[in-house]
Amino acid sequence: MSATTVTQNKRRRTGRRQWAPYVFISPFFVLFTVFMVVPIGAGVYLSLTEWAGLGTPDFIGFDNYARLFQDPSFGTSLLNTAFYTVFALAVVLPASLLIAQALNARGLKLRDLFRLVYFMPVVLSPIIIALIFGLIFDGEYGLFNAVLEALFGFGGISWLTDPLWARIVVVILVLWRWTGFLTMFFLAGLQNIPRELHEAAEVDGAGPVRRFFSVTLPQLGPVTAFIAVTMLVNTAQIFEEPFLLTQGGPGESTISVSMFIYRAGFQRLELGYAAAAGVVMFLIVFALGRLSISAFGVGRNR
Amino acid sequence: MNLDRRRLLRLLGATGLGTAGLAACSSPTEGPPLQSGQADLTLWTHDPGYATFFTEAASDPGLVGGSDWTFSVEVTSMAPPDVIARLVSQAVAQRPLPSLAGLEIGQFPRMMGSDIAPNLLSDLTPLTEPFGDRLLKTQPYTVDGKVYALESDNSVSVMYYRADLFEELGIPEDVETWEELLEIGAEVAADTGQAIGMVSDGDNTAIVQGFTQMLLQRGGGLYDADGNLTVLSEESIEVIELMAEGVRTGAFLSLADPYGSATAAALKGGSLIATVMPNWYKVYGLEANVPDQAGLWRARNIPRFTGGGSVSSTMGGTAFGVVKDQILTDAALDFLQRCYLTPEGQLARYWAGAYLPTLADLYETPEFQDITDPYLGDQRIFEVYGVAADELPVYYQGAGLVVLRDSLGGPILRALKGEIGAEEALTEGISAYERQVPEQ
Repeated sequence: MSATTVTQNKRRRTGRRQWAPYVFISPFFVLFTVFMVVPIGAGVYLSLTEWAGLGTPDFIGFDNYARLFQDPSFGTSLLNTAFYTVFALAVVLPASLLIAQALNARGLKLRDLFRLVYFMPVVLSPIIIALIFGLIFDGEYGLFNAVLEALFGFGGISWLTDPLWARIVVVILVLWRWTGFLTMFFLAGLQNIPRELHEAAEVDGAGPVRRFFSVTLPQLGPVTAFIAVTMLVNTAQIFEEPFLLTQGGPGESTISVSMFIYRAGFQRLELGYAAAAGVVMFLIVFALGRLSISAFGVGRNR
Repeated sequence: MNLDRRRLLRLLGATGLGTAGLAACSSPTEGPPLQSGQADLTLWTHDPGYATFFTEAASDPGLVGGSDWTFSVEVTSMAPPDVIARLVSQAVAQRPLPSLAGLEIGQFPRMMGSDIAPNLLSDLTPLTEPFGDRLLKTQPYTVDGKVYALESDNSVSVMYYRADLFEELGIPEDVETWEELLEIGAEVAADTGQAIGMVSDGDNTAIVQGFTQMLLQRGGGLYDADGNLTVLSEESIEVIELMAEGVRTGAFLSLADPYGSATAAALKGGSLIATVMPNWYKVYGLEANVPDQAGLWRARNIPRFTGGGSVSSTMGGTAFGVVKDQILTDAALDFLQRCYLTPEGQLARYWAGAYLPTLADLYETPEFQDITDPYLGDQRIFEVYGVAADELPVYYQGAGLVVLRDSLGGPILRALKGEIGAEEALTEGISAYERQVPEQ
């Protein structure tokens, strides 16, 4: 073998070695580009067009956005989504923590049964949940009105056909469905708090309430932050609960932003308009997510 | 075999390319139109009744005998909104489309805009034109004067009532007008709590459908033949006022879903003793929920409005369209014509799923007139359906109907509850509609 051939082989091997790392990390970038960058880019482009699915999209600039911000339905959906999100953070989160605290109590009997019961709504099909809630909250023949009638003598509340009550039933469904799920996270967090901390606080004379605020809550900080951010982002995209229970009604009083997008895209075939609403929702959720991550200090080293 | 990393990657790459190649080659709908021979049609529908009918019809010599094609039908079931969504998405992706698609009447307006219907479906006007006005319910599936789908079931509305309870309560079975019946209904509601009708207070579609059914009977409509909105009218106001009055006095029961559990409870408990619904409600509403009340129910034509209109209306329906420019388009057209535009096909459809004929002349023929219905106490039911078909109001849809339903639902519900007036409800709904559909 001549010296020239040996040099060429070495160069070839060196070239392969230089490319090898990129080849091995390329699957992530290829998949990220195909399934994230391209769809997001296509969505943004689509939001600048008018398109019903067939033919070529007509470029219309920012007309969809202008129309969106003048559309009272979109305003209603934003307000409803804000209502659901605030409720989830202000009621569902604390309720989960309190239930987890109760389930973590020493000497609690039937602990596993309680855990199972609280977790059950998460694994039940949303269709079944909607059917059951429909039966419970029906205005004429609902169980809840019957109970109210039997106990208090009044029961004619139009739970699902009055705008205010319909919103409340949706958040009750959110509460019922997600509290148990979040409880499991809090429970895991509670079980990781060293018992010595509680014992030390007890020796120092702290009562149960003081121990809760001075030991439990600070120790649960990272868990609470994670749950709060997850809940915020998920509830901002709420779809199933209002869609299955009220179809966004009565009128549009329970419609959420995700439902608005679904309606525009799949029911009305206004794909450009739906994409514009999707872009706006993405920006809002992204901003809220970043703000809450920053506020709660998620991922920050202590 | 020594399989090192490089060979494994090559093998995977080759497999991927091979799969992609095969996927690209598979397109069974492309090619020159088939003029005769074996036609394996594909059909999308939401209703198992149509699936059974078409599957059996494909091998029924009484229907397809003498055709140039030998048919078979493969059915894919999906929800009504998905039929149109998937038609569009498959067309965009240039993936196989069905030969025939079942289009629920309330979903069809989604195809009326952006030239979707003309781009996807065959123009059936050459098939329907020879029948003229005697072919019923072509208007809802007409775009720019061309018919794109054939209705399966006339869906004529009649009044179903509990004959035993009407007799017990002293309600005459031949009350002439809504106004008289509502007066009687108010008295019955005050005395016994029973209702002689229902209105929907559930989702927007159910609310607007109920309103539209009465509006068509009164002689009004949502759109005219040119697709212009006509819902703000004296007829609409009168209908909403009548419905609201019925709810206020208890003559009409407010129920979220005419097919749901609350309605089933009302029927079982005897608190809903009459209802105006289309013919298919007997099967899907009454027989399904209260089979034990067989023989107690009867059907009659709807009482007229004093102000005018007819004794008939319509609600719901599903039409079938033929997807255009496919290898089996001609075969599908032939098959649909044999099933939907011949007396044999219409009779077969009735026996398959109680779908009423769309050819008006058939209502008077002995084949239909002699039919008695055991659930309705062996009533000669086509004596009622025949009158209703004869006076069937025309129903036009517009591309913006989906928006109109969402816009009108809330205000009409408030009007039914007595929170706002009928005219205010209509004005509010139309205003919301016009903000979203400015070109209308």
